[in-house]
Amino acid sequence: MTATTTAEEKEPASGGSGRPARARRKEMSETTLGRVFVTPAIFLMALVALFPVIYAFVISLQGYTGRQNEGFAGIDNYVTALTDDRFWTSLQFTLIFTVTSVAAEFLIGLGFALLMNQAFRGRGLTRAAILVPWVIPTVIAAQMWFFMFNVTPGFINSLFGLGDFSWLGQSGWASFAIIFADVWKTAPFVALLLLAGLQTIPGDVYEGARVDGATMFQRFWYITMPLLKPAILVALLFRTVEALRVYDLPQVMTGGAFDTESLSILVQQYVVRTPDPGLGSALSTITFILILGVGLVFVNLLGKDLVIGEEDSK
Amino acid sequence: MSTPTQTAAAQRAGVKTPKKKGSDQGVVEQKSAAQVWGKSAMLGIILLWCLFPFFWLIMTSLKKGNNALNSPNIFKGPFGLQNYEAVFAQDFHLNLRNSLAIAGVTTILCVVIGSFAAYALARLPLKRKIMLLGGVLAVSLFPPVALVPPLYELWRTLGLLNTWEGLYIPYTSFTLPLTIFILTTFFASIPKDLEEAARVDGASPFKAFYKIILPLAAPGVFAAAIIIFVSAWNEFLLASTFAPRGPEVAQTVPVAIAAFTGAVQFQRPVGTITAACVVVTIPMIIVALVFQKRIVSGLTAGSVKG
Repeated sequence: MTATTTAEEKEPASGGSGRPARARRKEMSETTLGRVFVTPAIFLMALVALFPVIYAFVISLQGYTGRQNEGFAGIDNYVTALTDDRFWTSLQFTLIFTVTSVAAEFLIGLGFALLMNQAFRGRGLTRAAILVPWVIPTVIAAQMWFFMFNVTPGFINSLFGLGDFSWLGQSGWASFAIIFADVWKTAPFVALLLLAGLQTIPGDVYEGARVDGATMFQRFWYITMPLLKPAILVALLFRTVEALRVYDLPQVMTGGAFDTESLSILVQQYVVRTPDPGLGSALSTITFILILGVGLVFVNLLGKDLVIGEEDSK
Repeated sequence: MSTPTQTAAAQRAGVKTPKKKGSDQGVVEQKSAAQVWGKSAMLGIILLWCLFPFFWLIMTSLKKGNNALNSPNIFKGPFGLQNYEAVFAQDFHLNLRNSLAIAGVTTILCVVIGSFAAYALARLPLKRKIMLLGGVLAVSLFPPVALVPPLYELWRTLGLLNTWEGLYIPYTSFTLPLTIFILTTFFASIPKDLEEAARVDGASPFKAFYKIILPLAAPGVFAAAIIIFVSAWNEFLLASTFAPRGPEVAQTVPVAIAAFTGAVQFQRPVGTITAACVVVTIPMIIVALVFQKRIVSGLTAGSVKG
């Protein structure tokens, strides 16, 4: 509300560029309209994204007993957080989860995308099926894989004749099951993004290379990969940032037991289960800096032009 | 939607390789029918990967009594609809109502606010456009967990815990960046001449937007709407923190599904949970299949661009 008023007040200054006075009063100039149009979005994103991050930083400098504020505490909460083994264990799980799941999703997704780009029959059907894991809520995927891996009913164990092997009841294999579930859900999505990239490569590039005697591997390595690089980087950026936020899968599949506590689970724990707003906010601030930092490194790799798109920046 | 960089790179590569149109034909024809079918058969792997777990889910949900918990053989009966009756005895229809309302309001807010912003970014003269887009990108990289402690405190003070507002407000601001990316791409792909013609005929900038551009971008807006709805419907972290219980107030479907826990951990009611999963998933899969092309174009537009 306030934001809209501000934009309208500025109108006479910006709208006067060559438009008749009558029109200026009755209708908004393009510049004003632009401001009015972006303001609600910026306002809302600032209110619910930027403001809480600053507020979290303020809370993180306060001491708490339960929910009782005990006054300014300096960096005590950060010291507690960074000297706690639990933080390092969850950081380790989060990083292992991110690296392995993103790598596996990329390789499988690339394989799927190449297959779909080659095949002529059944492509439409496959493209439709590939949306199924994407549309299934992560919590449902987590429950589904929980029961498939679990000792009862033991579907995966009976499939591979493993008896009563406890996938979810020991560290290591519990992480494997969680990563597996994530790869199942997301590799098709990565395939979709890479397929879109593949389809922008004109076919005659390959035909030319084939005529010149390039082998299949050479065609892949010297033509496909370089041309696909922008699509790959974008897919990796979004997958990495999302994997670092992982919450649903470990929360539902193991509840964070057996060294599968992610940073998001750890932070959430200090909000509801064992409330400590100060420590929780310190941990969330650390997580925020970590994830945004990784994201910004990727964006720098990508370069400004690719991300923003040329017609927008003009 | 290809990025300028990709197209330019493709053209450069295209120039380097000699084109011999005549001999191309022969190369293509060398592919035997067997090869074509072989490649298609490999698509079977993808189909199995994507669909089999869902098939397992349906078969398990149809098992009667303790059978779902005890027998790993998915083809062994007896089968029945018992589990589905149990799901709706647990107020699951209220969870569905909450999720529909919250995801629905999120979608409407995102589409309205997002299309204004996207149109401004794609078409209107704005200062510091790059900075704005950079800001939008930064918000899309935000980890939602960073909001959990501060917003919880704030919502507690404002009385927004366990309410629909407490969820669709953060959902809207978190989904806005994606909405803006998708819609900016769609708006930018509409030929500029159309608006210019409308402006010459005396239409105001706002009229040009809602009379000319918005109808043309309708397929893109629709694609964005489906993607927003799905992401709001699936959200779990904020939903389980801000509205953990109470189907009658604001508990959403994912939270309810995660909470169908039995008395002892690792002894969850598999039949009921799988039935609830099927109830939620089947409509979503139907929507995904019906609007498949639009969803794919929206997803790739949002991501390939940014």
